Amino acid sequence: MPTLRSALQEAAAGFWRGLRQWCGDSSYEIYKEYTTRNGQPVLSPSQFYVEQLNKKYSRPNRCC
Amino acid sequence: MKRALQIFVWTALAIVAAAALATIALHRGEAISATWFVLAAVCSYLVAYRVYSAFIAAKLLALDNTRATPAERRDDGRDFVPTNKWVLFGHHFAAIAGPGPLVGPTLAAQFGYLPGTLWLIAGAAFAGCVQDFVILFCSIRRDGKTIGEMAREEVSKRGGFIAQLAVLAIMIILLGVVALVIVNALKSSPWATFTLATTIPIALLLGVYLRFIRPGRVLEASVVGVALVLFGVVAGQWVANSPGWSRAFTLSGVALTFAIIVYGFAASALPVWLLLAPRDYLSAFIKAGAIFSLAAGIFLVRPHVLMPPLTRFVDGNGPVFAGKIFPFCFITIACGAISGFHSLISSGTTPKMIQREQHARFIGYGAMLLESFVGVMAMVAACAMTPGVYFAINSPSQIVGAAPETAAETISSWGYPLSAATMANLAHSVGEQTLWNRAGGAPSLAVGMAQIFSTTIGGERLLSIWYHFAIMFEALFILTVLDAGTRVGRFMIQELGGRVWKPFGRLNWYPAILLSSAIIVAAWGYFLYQGVKDPLGGINSLWPLFGIANQLLAAVALVVATTILLKMGRLKWIWVTLLPMVWIVVITMTASYEKIFSSNPRIGFLAFANTLTAQIAAGTIAGAKVGETQRVVFNQRLDAVVTAALAFMILVLLVEAIFQWHSILSRGKEPVLHETPYVATQWAEGD
Repeated sequence: MPTLRSALQEAAAGFWRGLRQWCGDSSYEIYKEYTTRNGQPVLSPSQFYVEQLNKKYSRPNRCC
Repeated sequence: MKRALQIFVWTALAIVAAAALATIALHRGEAISATWFVLAAVCSYLVAYRVYSAFIAAKLLALDNTRATPAERRDDGRDFVPTNKWVLFGHHFAAIAGPGPLVGPTLAAQFGYLPGTLWLIAGAAFAGCVQDFVILFCSIRRDGKTIGEMAREEVSKRGGFIAQLAVLAIMIILLGVVALVIVNALKSSPWATFTLATTIPIALLLGVYLRFIRPGRVLEASVVGVALVLFGVVAGQWVANSPGWSRAFTLSGVALTFAIIVYGFAASALPVWLLLAPRDYLSAFIKAGAIFSLAAGIFLVRPHVLMPPLTRFVDGNGPVFAGKIFPFCFITIACGAISGFHSLISSGTTPKMIQREQHARFIGYGAMLLESFVGVMAMVAACAMTPGVYFAINSPSQIVGAAPETAAETISSWGYPLSAATMANLAHSVGEQTLWNRAGGAPSLAVGMAQIFSTTIGGERLLSIWYHFAIMFEALFILTVLDAGTRVGRFMIQELGGRVWKPFGRLNWYPAILLSSAIIVAAWGYFLYQGVKDPLGGINSLWPLFGIANQLLAAVALVVATTILLKMGRLKWIWVTLLPMVWIVVITMTASYEKIFSSNPRIGFLAFANTLTAQIAAGTIAGAKVGETQRVVFNQRLDAVVTAALAFMILVLLVEAIFQWHSILSRGKEPVLHETPYVATQWAEGD
């Protein structure tokens, strides 16, 4: 049976993972895992970051 | 037993919602606690989500969790990424929540708290959430296609072109109006201007860090950035207290206009990683923090709402903007109840990241409910201040008078007692030189937020810090919309121009980048400038124009949704999207008609232009002012033409759609649905 401490630790870890994914902090890790798994060439963190931003800000992504 | 308990709980919630709504609707006389607003909103949202969204999901859309979503079928680790539903909810909410649900309810508070609050709650449950949810569903079934692409495929080619034009029109008007809100909040305020100015070098610093030092490490960069921005809020006080620095940062409306235009151009033309993206990160964290703090503050303080349920301005002669509740309340509050702009987000990134079709209910319907709650909180914050103070901040000097004593007398004569000393003391305690005539909603909302925050932490001593924190939050929020919108507008202009001359469409060709940036900035800059120079304060003319444009896009989205549902054979439940569509078309057309043809010069663009022309002809306008007045006349006529063009676009789209519906219903032709074919999910149920 999970103790209160381990349940809290799990919740905190889940929150941290979610926060990183929400703000884009873990985007490169997700991308790298995907491309490595599929044997595709991997962009550098800097190249990937710029590519993602250029895509994101070329369409409406912030509302009034 | 479990089912009986569920029925009991949901019935109890529905009764609490009805009782709270009845209390705020029927309350007269003394101030009413904000707790009733929170109860009414939260219980209504819970019931709407549990009952209405479940009905839409099951009967109208028949969401299918066995069907693979685009995120599963086309997973590429970049655009199509299966995302946890809570994370995607956060993404989607951060994208749809802009300054609209804060500013709109604050302006509509001039009618009293009741019309706006009811529209925020009912509009969201029956129109806004439905639009966001259904468009998200339609886009998921089409591999994440945009609203324009869906309009072109499902309604007609012309429909797609109208959607594209509507997006560009709303973008230009929206950017002009939100920039005007910033100008009115910052003018003659060295503290606020300095604080906002510091966010530019902070964003540049973050941009360089995220590009070259620790690429993509958004969290650590944002923590440092937010700390620096908060330091900027405190440092602004030192600037305001230093005579030399204070002079340097005290800017007029026109000076701020040009500063913002230059900023918009730079944000559009510079690489996106340098200024735009890091500012967006800062804004997202501060937005989330400020909205959460406001909710917590309202829960803890439970302020009393001092504004009456209905003010005398339901007669259409309000000082903030002219026009009766119908239709003007419904276009003034757009984003907190229904916003066409959301359909761009629901058919943008979100459908490409959703894991399961069933998640569309939580993300599409649920996020809009939360946005509506932000609107209700803004309404509470605006109505928690003394009505006299609210009208003093939001009324232009041409209506209440330029001298404080005259203005206080005018506002008191309306039945909202106010003294010039009260306003002077309030301005002093929030660290401003004056709070008179700051139309636009931002300063009055900041005063309301600061009063709630300071009651929780710091008391009177921290009122000025909280006020400038709230102003910084609103302005940062708005600048993010401004720079992101300018960049997207630039892409649209390059795309349109590229059809005429190919090189203009090349996104990496600098002459095209500079020219298209200049065109989009000039377009919204023109509306901003006319707003700043408008004798009635600008908001009176431009906010309704923005509301009409935004609701036009909502009409486009609901027409597309209704057409797709008809093609899917959901005639029995078609009223779910058809009724809000009819309502939106009726309010948009009525508002357009009144804004163009009303004989009241404060409402009708043409009537105001004719009044000014008659004054010039009669020689009642001083010689030095004739040129300026002629420009105002031209602007009013231009606004009338723009409004007419928007209304015409709705009519054309409607006619196109009605022809489509007729041929579907009369079985004149077999409906062609452009859905992607069914592919079964490979994921287990719990994935």
